[in-house]
Amino acid sequence: MNAAEGASFNDQAIWTEGLKKSYKGLHAVNGLDLRVPRGAVYGFLGRNGAGKTTTIRTLLGLARATAGAARVLGMDIDRHRLAILERTAFVGEHKILYDNFTALDMVRFTSAFYPQWSHEMVERCARQLEVPMRQRFAKLSKGNRAKVWLLLALAQNAELLILDEPTTGLDPVANDAFLKLLVEDHAAHSRTVFFSSHNLAEIEHVADWVGILDRGRMLLEARLEDIREHFRLVIAAGRGLPAAVSEHIAAVAQSGEFTRYVVTRDAEAFASRLRQQGAAVTEVSPLSLREVFLELLRKEQEESHVPVEMLA
Amino acid sequence: MILHVNPASGVPLYLQIQSQVKQAVSAGALKPGDALPSVRKLAADLRINPNTVARAYLDLDRDGVLRSVPGGGTFVADGQPGLLKAERLRRLRPHARQVAVEGTQLRLTADEILKLVQEELDSLGEPR
Repeated sequence: MNAAEGASFNDQAIWTEGLKKSYKGLHAVNGLDLRVPRGAVYGFLGRNGAGKTTTIRTLLGLARATAGAARVLGMDIDRHRLAILERTAFVGEHKILYDNFTALDMVRFTSAFYPQWSHEMVERCARQLEVPMRQRFAKLSKGNRAKVWLLLALAQNAELLILDEPTTGLDPVANDAFLKLLVEDHAAHSRTVFFSSHNLAEIEHVADWVGILDRGRMLLEARLEDIREHFRLVIAAGRGLPAAVSEHIAAVAQSGEFTRYVVTRDAEAFASRLRQQGAAVTEVSPLSLREVFLELLRKEQEESHVPVEMLA
Repeated sequence: MILHVNPASGVPLYLQIQSQVKQAVSAGALKPGDALPSVRKLAADLRINPNTVARAYLDLDRDGVLRSVPGGGTFVADGQPGLLKAERLRRLRPHARQVAVEGTQLRLTADEILKLVQEELDSLGEPR
């Protein structure tokens, strides 16, 4: 299976090291290390303005990196821009298409560019997502526009699927149909799927890897099953308890007597050590992805936060 | 067969699938020879990553609960009557842990604890 540890960039569908993208002194992406194993379904998470869209645009060569290195499917993003675009399907944040075109027109137009194009996938998407194929784009709702984009992306049969907020605007039934389609497609072709979303519940379902981005840096990158198996919220009461983030402590928050820890490994041993220091450990419990996200980002909230994504 | 997973529960999904399959087999709801849905089908039905289902099936195969026929699907294995070995071990484990913990707290050595358990086994007159 996927092993990000010790793997070279050739084992990664997406690999970045110290990636930076600045706009007029604002660091939208600020030293990002990203490791997306081939064949993974990777959920790319972060608050608004964390740098998700800028990262994606940089990976696809739509914006030029200020510093650092990045490879997509093993190819350097500066030198192999076209080859990367040929082998990657992309659904952007803004689901814009030609107003006078119908989805059928777009299929005819787009399919010519992609040798791997799957007409079978077009039909399956159209049926399962209930895509209005014969309506002009200008007349479509936000949700239906998203569906047309998803159809066009899935039908490309690309090695890598990059989706920026793909399900925004979809109603719950369409969202569920999309997730089913994505899982079926992934099971059949095991292409890599990299997608950003604010819907943590959907990520928690379909993803096997997650990365949480904050202010252009990777705050946490982990296998979702590791989070379920090893990550624990530990709450302890006592004085002079450790208050620093370390190798196995992803977050610490103190208020009064109580300290909350997100422990990433060996939580029971950590709790025993706290007890030996005289602390009362009141809780050791598993965390949902949503809780991990909130615990990691909550303490950052007080500090200033500039939404640089808007400048992209 | 109805499987249900809760991605937010903090229990790995492959373990949730495994324990539900084991319970269904233990309870007789799944019988030897019964077919399970394919990895693809179950992943799509549950909207979860196919790798997760594959891992659950692999472990169940290794534990002797399921039997995979290459290219021919996954079936409930022809197990021993009664509970599966892995399930029986799972049920005994908390008791074993308690003996280990209490024995250590009483400052007995590992050999002394094992000897005690052996004596109890011998007194049952059961073959090992």
